Amino acid sequence: MANKSKVQKTGKMAVFVDDMKHSVLLLPAILLLLLFFIVPIVLTVYYSFTNMALTGSAAQNFQFVGIQNYISMFKDPTTLVSIKNTLIFLVGSLLGQSVIGFLVAYLMKEKAQAFRSVLGPCILAGWVMPEIVVSMCCLAFFDVSGTMNQILQALHIPGVDWIYGHPMLTIIIANVWHGAAFSMMNFQSALDNVSGDIEEAARVDGANRIQTLIRVVVPCIKDTIATNTMLNTLSTLGVFGLIWALTGGGPGTATTTLPIYMYNQGMKNFQLGQGTAIGMLLLLVGAVCSVIYTRVMKSEE
Amino acid sequence: MKKKQIMVLLTASVMVFGMAACGGGSGDSSGGSSSGGDDSSSGEKQKITVCWRDDGTELEKNSYYMQMMAAYEAWDKKDEVELEFAPITADEGNYFTKVALQLADPGTCPDLVAEDTFQMPNDIAAGYLTNLDDYLADYADWNDGKYFESMQNMVTGPDGSVYGVPICTDTRGLFYNRSILEQAGVIAEGEDWAPKTWDDVLAACAAVKENCPDVVPFWCNSGVATGEATSMQTYEMLLYGTGERLITDDGKWIVKSEGIKDSLQFLSDIYTNGYGPSLSLVLNGQASNTSAGEYLPQGKLAISLDGNWITGKYGENGTNPWPEYTEDLAVAAMPTSEGQDPGTITLAGGWAYSIPENSDAKDITWEFIQFMMQPEYYQVYIMQAGNLCTRTDTAEDEEYLSRHLQGTFTEFLDTAEFRPQNDQYSTVSTCIQQMVEAVVSGTSPDDAMAQYATSVARAVGDDNVTEQ
Amino acid sequence: MSEKAVKAIHYIILTIIGIIFILPLVWLVVASLDANANQALKWPEEWTFSNFTGVLTNPDDLRGFGIGLVISVVQSAIVVLVSGLAAYPLSRYRLSYKKGFMYGILFMTALPMIAVIVPVYKMFLNIGMLDSIPGVILYLSASSLPYGIWLMKNFMDGVPVELEEAAWVDGATTMQSIRKVVAPLMFPGICVVFIYTFSGSWGNFFIPYILLSSADKMPASVMLYQFFGQHGSVSYGPLAAFSVIYALPSILLYILSQSHMSQGFTMSGAAKG
Repeated sequence: MANKSKVQKTGKMAVFVDDMKHSVLLLPAILLLLLFFIVPIVLTVYYSFTNMALTGSAAQNFQFVGIQNYISMFKDPTTLVSIKNTLIFLVGSLLGQSVIGFLVAYLMKEKAQAFRSVLGPCILAGWVMPEIVVSMCCLAFFDVSGTMNQILQALHIPGVDWIYGHPMLTIIIANVWHGAAFSMMNFQSALDNVSGDIEEAARVDGANRIQTLIRVVVPCIKDTIATNTMLNTLSTLGVFGLIWALTGGGPGTATTTLPIYMYNQGMKNFQLGQGTAIGMLLLLVGAVCSVIYTRVMKSEE
Repeated sequence: MKKKQIMVLLTASVMVFGMAACGGGSGDSSGGSSSGGDDSSSGEKQKITVCWRDDGTELEKNSYYMQMMAAYEAWDKKDEVELEFAPITADEGNYFTKVALQLADPGTCPDLVAEDTFQMPNDIAAGYLTNLDDYLADYADWNDGKYFESMQNMVTGPDGSVYGVPICTDTRGLFYNRSILEQAGVIAEGEDWAPKTWDDVLAACAAVKENCPDVVPFWCNSGVATGEATSMQTYEMLLYGTGERLITDDGKWIVKSEGIKDSLQFLSDIYTNGYGPSLSLVLNGQASNTSAGEYLPQGKLAISLDGNWITGKYGENGTNPWPEYTEDLAVAAMPTSEGQDPGTITLAGGWAYSIPENSDAKDITWEFIQFMMQPEYYQVYIMQAGNLCTRTDTAEDEEYLSRHLQGTFTEFLDTAEFRPQNDQYSTVSTCIQQMVEAVVSGTSPDDAMAQYATSVARAVGDDNVTEQ
Repeated sequence: MSEKAVKAIHYIILTIIGIIFILPLVWLVVASLDANANQALKWPEEWTFSNFTGVLTNPDDLRGFGIGLVISVVQSAIVVLVSGLAAYPLSRYRLSYKKGFMYGILFMTALPMIAVIVPVYKMFLNIGMLDSIPGVILYLSASSLPYGIWLMKNFMDGVPVELEEAAWVDGATTMQSIRKVVAPLMFPGICVVFIYTFSGSWGNFFIPYILLSSADKMPASVMLYQFFGQHGSVSYGPLAAFSVIYALPSILLYILSQSHMSQGFTMSGAAKG
């Protein structure tokens, strides 16, 4: 990284002037982020302490209600349910995406080029599809008389009501289908850097395939595993459209994750203030993950 | 160099905003396929934007559209005014959210909105609707008794002012397919079904399940997606049948009671015994259309707890013509839980045309409402909608009276109950829908009721709820 | 187990995974060509293009695709442009606040922006930007900007500054050297940012669904959502055809940029982005 400034000045003022001069190009970004990123977050904090509503008398003049929204949020068992659902969805998606992504990336190594060029696009297809198409495909695929049950029947296994009987499993599978390719690509580029010699050496030492994998390969790519997990965590936390279009958070509250819960309270029940309080909770979870993430990245640098 | 950077920046941002503006423009200019008026000379025309819920019915068969087009074609102001139809495509559960979002925004607010009367107190309190008192003072039909008084009350706000022109009312009952119940042995040939208690209904379901395995015994709206239909048509029909109400006389919402539990238990019985449709059919936004439009006419459904308007689907011009419906389809009054007085129960609701406060064409919209509510155009609506009318003159019309089951449903109206006129009702209603969906998808009635208690207290405040 | 058997097992596992992954899409394509499509994958009794012609001749649908394209392309362009400009000082200059800024950006990439949709709605209401396509674009741009900046900065770090110095000697300005030297060298990175933004935006139906209300401003994503909420169970054929057409830009973009993409991935992998 070179410092282009031609005259080396000293003193705080000079540093400041230098900074300003060099920051001009940052202005549009700062402006956009301030207006449409920071301000909404500040507003979220503010609104979460009011009784603002979409309709009813509180829509006309809303009031400051202190931490009332937070108290009622924590009194409501749905909050716990949606936190639990968010975690299940998160862990399920992470496991599914990483395991399948890694498995494919690992097994695909050193396979025939023709096979790779057919299989790759198959996995990638679900990733390339827009989220809303993913929902639509899964809606049909997991329908009671959809393709999935057709396959099961062909195997003489009784069909299952996926979407209403096992809603959480269904949305996790949908999310894994959509996201596994991302992990696969991350792992592929990491595995390319693992030299075959190390593996070979381990083999010679008498380690079997699984042992080699665990003792040699995994440590080599542990950074990628960490980054990949983190990125998937962050994107999974924000998943809304996929669940909304597939199950709407139901049946009951079976797939109500925090974003869905927030929408239901804020928009459907017209309680904007309470919705933003849940939004705050979501931001908080995101912030915690984000701090961990930032730490991980920092330590790697 | 600094100057240059700024120049580039400016150019870049102008470019960006220019593109964005073009984007907006292209959206605007290519619209109009759904506008009713003549686009080419719209320069000075006033525009009335109309909003209702698009439930998937094709536009030409939509009752609002038919009424408005019939009136518009005959209107002497046709050349000065353009109608723009902007129905909201959403399931019932999301319609009211979308409407509220629009009513709040002067930029997107429609000029004429179809409001469910239950939502009106809430929207009145929010200041979203125009007080029509001044307009109504000069509306002869309104003051000469051409509208039923009960219907006028329905659109009167807590402040005593009127906020909408009532366009329909409705009652509910147990529709049944005569031949299926005969085949199941529930009724003898030619006999009418008249269940006395909820147990009678469950027994009939059991008989259907036993004797007609391919038929769904019982259907009622059960999901969040079917919105108010779930609250009113299913839950409140049950709750009011236990003798209880949603709210006490002094305005406290009842969140825990035997009646709530019994109502939920009935629903639980329906679904755990397999009398209900599969959840994939009943929990989506199209459930009402599936039951009334497909399952009932196709003989795949025995008993359906539904509203009188579904008969509007079965006529020649309806969305789901069913030539034999006058013979096959009959209706029984919903019994009270144990047959206690008054023996049967029904709820009545209704819709109204309102003018949003944020409308920028109030006067002309009012003129149009007045014009299209004349009997000849109003009748177009009421016949297509299959609903009960709000005008006394239409009520005596022969074509209207001759409609199948018309007499029965009008009779129901005499003893019908109405929902609480309270600006918190619509919020409580969404809690009800969540409770019902929870029960039908397997939550125990007790747990669901506990959750309901928390949600309602959350929405209306701890001071406004009570247990019984 | 012999080496051959192991290899065979690998192939079998991979094949099964591949088939499972592709099946929903096979359904999508077959259903779009079937005159009587339903939920299940089946061999059409009657092949037809009518589902496609139906969508392609419907002015409303075409408008939806047009609006969707405008939103996504403009948004991606804004993100590339703004984050590219922002990345330059972050990568090239010594700024006292750089470290803090970068961690701030990193922190922002992680926040689920869905959480602020209610305040955004209220804010847009107050400044009269509801039901405005530029409004949607600006909001979407801002929410994908942090990630864009982060990626761009890392890509730009990968472009050796020596190449730029040559340009400066020739008297090029900063903007010229960005345009002529840096941008071409980090083209794969620009592609990654563009595609990432585009695909996130192209599939997003919820933000426009909340922020727009006129039916004639709805992008294809919202139309698709509304359509299957309304007619899902009855008309899978047109629905599938709509989806296929709708998915095409994503697929095309991906194929076109595939070589850059894999480079970009190596780079972003190297940059841990």
